Amino acid sequence: MNSTNKAAKKKKFDKTAFAFIAPAFLLFTLFIIVPTVSSVYYSFTSWDGISPNVKFIGLANYKEIFTSDRFGNAMKNTIILTVFISIFENSIALALALIVDNVRWGKNFFRSAFYIPVLISGIVSGFIWKIMYNYNFGTFNAVLDNLGLEAWKQDWLGNSALTLIMIGVVLIWKGAGYYMIIYLASLQSVSQDLIEAAQIDGASPWQRFKSITVPLISGAFTINFTLSLINGLKVFDQINVMTDGGPGFTSETLVYLLYKVGFNEGRQGFGTAVGIMLLFIIIVLNTIQQKFLRSREVQM
Amino acid sequence: MRKAQKKVKPSTFVLFAVTVILAFLFLYPVFFALMSAFKSNGDILKSPISFPKSLYIQNFKDLFAQSDFMTAIIHSLFLTVVSEVLIVFIVPMAAYGIERRQSRATALTYTYFLAGMMIPFHLYMFPLFKEMKMLHLFGNMAGPIVSYIAGSIAFGTLLYCSFLKGIPLEIEEAAMIDGCTPFQTFWKVTFPLLGPCTGSMVILNGLGIWNDYLMPYLVLPSGKAKTITVEIAGFVGQYTARWDIVFAGTVISIVPALIIFCMFQKYFVKGITAGAAKG
Repeated sequence: MNSTNKAAKKKKFDKTAFAFIAPAFLLFTLFIIVPTVSSVYYSFTSWDGISPNVKFIGLANYKEIFTSDRFGNAMKNTIILTVFISIFENSIALALALIVDNVRWGKNFFRSAFYIPVLISGIVSGFIWKIMYNYNFGTFNAVLDNLGLEAWKQDWLGNSALTLIMIGVVLIWKGAGYYMIIYLASLQSVSQDLIEAAQIDGASPWQRFKSITVPLISGAFTINFTLSLINGLKVFDQINVMTDGGPGFTSETLVYLLYKVGFNEGRQGFGTAVGIMLLFIIIVLNTIQQKFLRSREVQM
Repeated sequence: MRKAQKKVKPSTFVLFAVTVILAFLFLYPVFFALMSAFKSNGDILKSPISFPKSLYIQNFKDLFAQSDFMTAIIHSLFLTVVSEVLIVFIVPMAAYGIERRQSRATALTYTYFLAGMMIPFHLYMFPLFKEMKMLHLFGNMAGPIVSYIAGSIAFGTLLYCSFLKGIPLEIEEAAMIDGCTPFQTFWKVTFPLLGPCTGSMVILNGLGIWNDYLMPYLVLPSGKAKTITVEIAGFVGQYTARWDIVFAGTVISIVPALIIFCMFQKYFVKGITAGAAKG
């Protein structure tokens, strides 16, 4: 080890840095890390959330996770909802970004129009769509009536084959604008010279898109796809207001299961164990994203 | 020299028409809520897709008469404003400490904060509430506020650190030579230059707090109005037959966010793209 390195290490405690960082460090540790670490502990207990004595029950919660039908069902619902949202949110967001980038008039207006649903709270968006989906008085069935397509009328949220998809539609509507902004930024970073050069060389619009735009926005794609998967895992408000996990358990996702067992059934120990599984999935997804991003950087 | 007017290709018109239709579809649910808020309950049920006949404001009168919505509005505003003020005081300082005082300790702190971005709120909420009860932060505004600040640190530090890299050190050095303490240098010299970054962070965080549901629902004392979002969620179960009132509430929730968006659009865009570029 050389001397400068040693000197840097031996450098005395940096009081200024400490003073600047301490408040944030303290709050972050106290209100995120401490409860996270204690949730690891609670996941091994049968804590009910109220009583002061917490009983350690070993791996029982995790055993239940891997054997109970209810967890399996919630896992299945979460995967369906999350994958559905991520695929459509990204395709639609990319399409919207391309449209906004190429439309001749009103670029700013359209960008705002597609972004506006992002501003609306989960609860409010859930309520608006719940009413639009309503069997007797909703927009969807009214439009079908007017088009003479009565046969297609549905109890959109009550039909258990459709519930998750219908919730997914709300989330895609609310989220696509966010990812559009990210795609748009990366589209606009594509150098105009490159595109003109290809144009001069006689590349068709599709060839230009495929060979120039796609490789250059693939970083944004990886980020957006991971973000939408993680956000899909965390969906709560819309389910709460639209279906409360029903009908039956058809729209009960991991987060919703966690909430229900924790607050309605007094099993917060089990609820935290479900939360640990959620964190595990998020860490795996993030790791995959990092790998993807890094492998492409090497190629470039 | 004036360029000859280029002939507009038909495909340009097709694309424009498609865009208009898509924009209509995206905005329709918002229009639907706005229109329904100004229709009587009977009209909402009879003809969900028609325009309101006149400017009908009975829904808003009923909303304030039948519930304590005013308190909910004040609570939402209070939580958003107080949290934001404290966030703007705490987060940029931390980022400054990390970025300008590079050492192994500050690098570790940065990683520690960023790791926090992965932790979902739902995982730690049960132990968090228990901790809040111990610290007497449960059942009052302080609980959500400290939690919002803690939750803003990861993303905020990331945003400010990447922004600070683009600010030349020379200005700060000059201030130091003139006898400013690091604290004065930061607040008087550097912080004003971070305006756009602060704008992005305040706006994106503020929207999250304004729209948040679970935290105020679970932490604020029951039996009284909590926040706008919580009240609306409560109405959905309670006033199953009075959609008009709920729609009036949704408009009160949406309109402030819309106004802020129209005024500060560029900060939304900057914040989202900066977050994605590093996240």
